Amino acid sequence: MWGWEQLYFNIKDGFLEAIVRGHRGGLLTVPDYNNLTQCEALDDIKLNLTATDYGAYLANEASPLYTSTIVDKCTQKLVDDWNNMRCQADETLAKFLDFCTYGHMIDNVVLIVTGTLHERDVQELLDKCHPLGMFDSIATLAVAANMRELYRLVLVDTPLAPYFSENLTHEDLDEMNIEIMRNTLYKAYLDDFAAFCGKLGGTTAEVMSDLLAFEADRRALNITLNSIGTELTRDDRKKLYSNFGLLYPHGHNELSIAEDFDQIRAAMEKVPAYANVFNKLGYGEAQMLDKLLYEEEVKRCCACFEQQFHYGVFYAYMKLREQEIRNIMWVSECVAQDQKARINDGIVFLF
Amino acid sequence: MSGSTNRYTVPPTVTVLTVMKARLVGATKGHALLKKKADALTVRYRQLLREIVEAKNGMGDAMKGSFFSLAEAKYAGGDSIKHTVFDNVDRATLKVYSSQENIAGVKIPKFESVSEPGETKMELTGLGKGGQQIQGCRKAYLSAIQLLVQLANLQTAFMTLDVALKVTNRRVNALENVVKPKIENTIAYIKGELDELEREEFFRLKKVQKNKQKVAAQELARKEAQAAEAAAAYDTGLMQDNTNGITSANLLTASNDADLVF
Amino acid sequence: MARIDQEGSLVAVIADEDTITGFLLAGVGDVDIRKRSNFLVVDSKTTVRTIEASFKDFTNREDIAIILISQPIANMIRHVVANHNKPVPALLEIPSKDSPYDPNQDSLLTRVKHLLGLV
Repeated sequence: MWGWEQLYFNIKDGFLEAIVRGHRGGLLTVPDYNNLTQCEALDDIKLNLTATDYGAYLANEASPLYTSTIVDKCTQKLVDDWNNMRCQADETLAKFLDFCTYGHMIDNVVLIVTGTLHERDVQELLDKCHPLGMFDSIATLAVAANMRELYRLVLVDTPLAPYFSENLTHEDLDEMNIEIMRNTLYKAYLDDFAAFCGKLGGTTAEVMSDLLAFEADRRALNITLNSIGTELTRDDRKKLYSNFGLLYPHGHNELSIAEDFDQIRAAMEKVPAYANVFNKLGYGEAQMLDKLLYEEEVKRCCACFEQQFHYGVFYAYMKLREQEIRNIMWVSECVAQDQKARINDGIVFLF
Repeated sequence: MSGSTNRYTVPPTVTVLTVMKARLVGATKGHALLKKKADALTVRYRQLLREIVEAKNGMGDAMKGSFFSLAEAKYAGGDSIKHTVFDNVDRATLKVYSSQENIAGVKIPKFESVSEPGETKMELTGLGKGGQQIQGCRKAYLSAIQLLVQLANLQTAFMTLDVALKVTNRRVNALENVVKPKIENTIAYIKGELDELEREEFFRLKKVQKNKQKVAAQELARKEAQAAEAAAAYDTGLMQDNTNGITSANLLTASNDADLVF
Repeated sequence: MARIDQEGSLVAVIADEDTITGFLLAGVGDVDIRKRSNFLVVDSKTTVRTIEASFKDFTNREDIAIILISQPIANMIRHVVANHNKPVPALLEIPSKDSPYDPNQDSLLTRVKHLLGLV
């Protein structure tokens, strides 16, 4: 289909692409954020959000409002949009959309599994799950008493089954630290997603390889940063890095042996794209890194709207919405906790 | 007598008086000591009150910082981190050890928080994203807990002291207003009774003496009268002798002569 | 100043989910073999009865030295909180994330201020 996609794309996916571009128009803009930052109370935020796409979702919320309520409602908006698109999607796009949500699905499975091991109430656990990561048989996850049974009875039927079977042994399921397991699964997922996008070819592959490479590299960076000084060995650390991305493979070798922030920085700055990110960061401060990485991600996601006839926009839309929800959460937290001086530290302007 | 109800029912004897006096000395000494203790406690108590007010007001700000660091962690790591945290709970690594502090004989429990080092499951939380912020949040809460434990100390000390102070004050007041007056009354009563007894005895002695004197005087009078009578009888006898001349007065035979008292 | 118990006691928390998350991160949380925990998450669905019950449970447990309770929740069970006058476990009212700390609602602080003649 290479080169000819423009001919065929609209037949199957033109409608949804139009929809997602419409949703993009609904994302909050800089003036919206300026209004939000002026708020004195959560009710003011609600008032400001009524004029946006979130209006319908927040309109019926009674005072007193909580940050969590606002975040939940905004997430609901994303979920509704997403499910709507998923219903309309054609086979290949549907698969792509599903792939986008596997990340949440991994989180949910991990949540349910650990919850089950601690004998928590299933319904309570299901309430905590991210709505985008739900799948039909998720409630049955809780029936399994141990990990082995869990895999045999439930996980086999989920889309995540290959990630479990290829990366984890039965012994791992019983003994592995849950965070390592989560990241192992996530790595498998990213590899798989990248392979899938590569198979799709065309502009999708091109755009997505950029976005996923960034995601993979960010994870590698975070894992390195967060595992300094922990029991995680260098080899284990390296095993959690994805097998693609701009850092792969040499950057990974350097990251895996890094023992402090400056070594990480040195490893990252060898890639020009990340050198820019780190240039904005003064020496010795790791705190702002998250925001800078979010900004970089947003930049890439926005850029992919510049091209037409590809699936990347859906992924980008999800990421942008999530960033927007994060922004709203940050603003709400700052307002609720009377920390308005910090309000601009967390907002990443989308456009 | 008003003290009659407010005193010990004891026999008013000198022995009891000595015992009571000893008790009064004891009560006075005890009162002085307790008063000193109460004063010491009050000083500490006042000091505590101020510290509590300060700490409570400071706690608001400290907790605010901690809450905000959690918001930061959620921003970086997503909302789901809290579920992970909840599921990672095992045995407590932060424990409170209590010891005792002694203020003027009042034992006050004192807490000290100790975070046991060692591998925690929390360490790898947020490995994929947000781990830094989560660790920051962990530190913020750890210091908040230190502060809260301090506050708990103050508060426990306050409550223990409050009770101790009340008890001590009650004892001081009881000694001052009940025990001591009662003993004093008893002493006064015994003294009064003893005086009374003494007066009675004196009066009785006087009475006896008077009686004796009276009896003696009567005796004297009677004897004088008798003597006079006897003399008279003697004179008449002589006269009869002179007139009859028959009955001569024989001194040897006259056996019923009255005794002579000179 | 010798330690009475080498075991160490626990800190119990009754608060909203976010506050508890923070304290759990610090390592306060404890779940024993019988799945008995030393914290209670209070959300909009939690009944006053449940809060009261676990508050009483915490106050009667031997291994708990300090109870942290968030202020809005303390207000929900004020009568029980006001009746707690044992020195151990110490009861501390902490501010909640969503409402700033109001010193005037604190049972103990009111008493303290009254004694100091500040009110």
